[in-house]
Amino acid sequence: MNKSLTIARREFTDAITSKRFWLIGGLFILLYLANVYGVAYVFRMGGGTFGSSRLTLQIGSNVASTLGYMAPLLGMALAFDAISGERERGTLRILLSRPLYREDVLNGKMISAAAVVGLTIVASTLLSVSASILLQGIAVTSDDIVRLGFFIVIAILLAFAYYAISLFVSTFSSKSGYSLTISVGVWIFFAFILPILATFIASAMVPRPALVNVTAPTQGREPGQMFTVTGNYTRRIEAITSTIETISVNSHYSTIADSLFGLRTGAFGQQEVTRLDLAGVISTCWVDLLILVAFPVIFLVASYVVFTRRQEK
Amino acid sequence: MSMVIETDNLVKVYGKGKEEVRALNGINMKIPPRSVYGLFGPNGSGKTTLITILIGLQLPTGGSAKVLGHDVLRESVEIRRRVGLLPEGFGFYEHMTALENLSFFGALDDLPAEKVKARALEVLETIGLKEKTNAKVATFSRGMMQRLGMAQALMKDPELLMLDEPTVGIDPEGAAEFRDIVRGLNKEGKTVLMSTHLLYEIGMVCTHAAMIRAGKLLAQGTVDELSRPVREAKGFAYEIHVRSGGDTLRQDIKLLPDVREASLRDDKITVIAEKDVGTALFSLMTGDAYRDQIVSVTPVSPSWEDLYQFYQGGESA
Repeated sequence: MNKSLTIARREFTDAITSKRFWLIGGLFILLYLANVYGVAYVFRMGGGTFGSSRLTLQIGSNVASTLGYMAPLLGMALAFDAISGERERGTLRILLSRPLYREDVLNGKMISAAAVVGLTIVASTLLSVSASILLQGIAVTSDDIVRLGFFIVIAILLAFAYYAISLFVSTFSSKSGYSLTISVGVWIFFAFILPILATFIASAMVPRPALVNVTAPTQGREPGQMFTVTGNYTRRIEAITSTIETISVNSHYSTIADSLFGLRTGAFGQQEVTRLDLAGVISTCWVDLLILVAFPVIFLVASYVVFTRRQEK
Repeated sequence: MSMVIETDNLVKVYGKGKEEVRALNGINMKIPPRSVYGLFGPNGSGKTTLITILIGLQLPTGGSAKVLGHDVLRESVEIRRRVGLLPEGFGFYEHMTALENLSFFGALDDLPAEKVKARALEVLETIGLKEKTNAKVATFSRGMMQRLGMAQALMKDPELLMLDEPTVGIDPEGAAEFRDIVRGLNKEGKTVLMSTHLLYEIGMVCTHAAMIRAGKLLAQGTVDELSRPVREAKGFAYEIHVRSGGDTLRQDIKLLPDVREASLRDDKITVIAEKDVGTALFSLMTGDAYRDQIVSVTPVSPSWEDLYQFYQGGESA
């Protein structure tokens, strides 16, 4: 354990003093500033009618949206060259010629990554949320704080899922460029391509209902029946897309975050507020939570297996 | 005498089927303590594979090996506790200073925390990098990197040093200084296993040598043990330096049993014999007839090129 901590200390110092970390930190700050501005805008446009609790949810939702993109980037930035970089620099052989087990190297890197991810997400989220709350003078309830705390855990899990994927690729790769390409490719697939692909597949599978004129009910149908037809269609589409997106860790993160902050996109693109208490969120999203935990665990175990068995020529 | 390294029919195979490559093909090697053991062979002969197996970075496909009495398969951590490695193509954390790099590796070598810095400063002085203690490694030349590589291997004060092509890429002056460091460490009692593809380097530093080619050891032993079969095959050569009267002496030498040839040039007689005639020549040197004429009698060892050509021809010792 001492050796893991020795490695973790060096990794942590390297990470927080690296240009890469500050570049991602800068992006975090920019996006959070945009969030603070967005919340201020919402407040000016009619925050008084929302009530402070609704505004807190809005802030949380904005932060969740930002972290949905930034947490994976942070995870990948920390891991894509974790092992392959050592291999490229020629430090891995020197490292492995010490009296240590290979597990110590991975343990050290993961301890450091956990500290960097935790620190970055906690600090940036708290700063952003605090800024919005203070600027708008919103009263924060204990429920809001618990939700925010739970959300931070979810965001850290998302970052660690991508950390684990990148680390896994890095363990068997000799080139960091290759490792980065694979990791970013996985992220782009999960974050951008899969949702489009899922919608496309679902649209192909579910026949589109006939167009109905809302203002002039004909053929014996009332307006209420028309919404039922389109509502069923949308629900079937959603069921298929969410089934396909089960393989995406981003999708599980979004599901939990939406439940947590009570905001979800409705059938017609409108934001619906469906607020559950924390126990309700956990009981509704326990499968998503389980997958969000399982994802990094599976890839970290795979990284251990590959790295401890790989022979360094 | 217990050996520092002992391998028994060590085999390493990469790939499978048609892509199978036997990098090591039944290596039996014995390295005695306090020796500088040169592992000579062309590129791709299996030198690096052998070293990485001995330190536990790779696993053998077959056979066994012990380093300082520890089995390479089961006790590789113990081996790495007592062996320093200077690998080929190594690198350092370039944004860190020499001292920071050595302190980091020293901490991983189980050195007590309070002694790590002192030990790092000590080895930096040993390898002549004291003035670069706080310089970032990114600013180091190739030669300085090589010295720092040696320094990291010395951090744990190892009983055995494994140096993989240690002088590759550094200038002749730097290589000479590096060889001096190796000689100095050997004098302190450390055993050194050094791989090289430079034949002359073996002659300059090593007390023992092994020749490896296509994963097989062609020959191994002390310089004398390696040269004897070559001398037996090609003849024993001697050089006799004389003050005067060289031709009479040359004729007398030619009458000695087993002497094949004796030629005089300037003040030097070159003798080629079928067998070792050193004792007979030494008797001449100390006898009354030629005592004042003979300055020295020196056996001439075959060159390393001669040895390599001899063993490469398949006449294994």
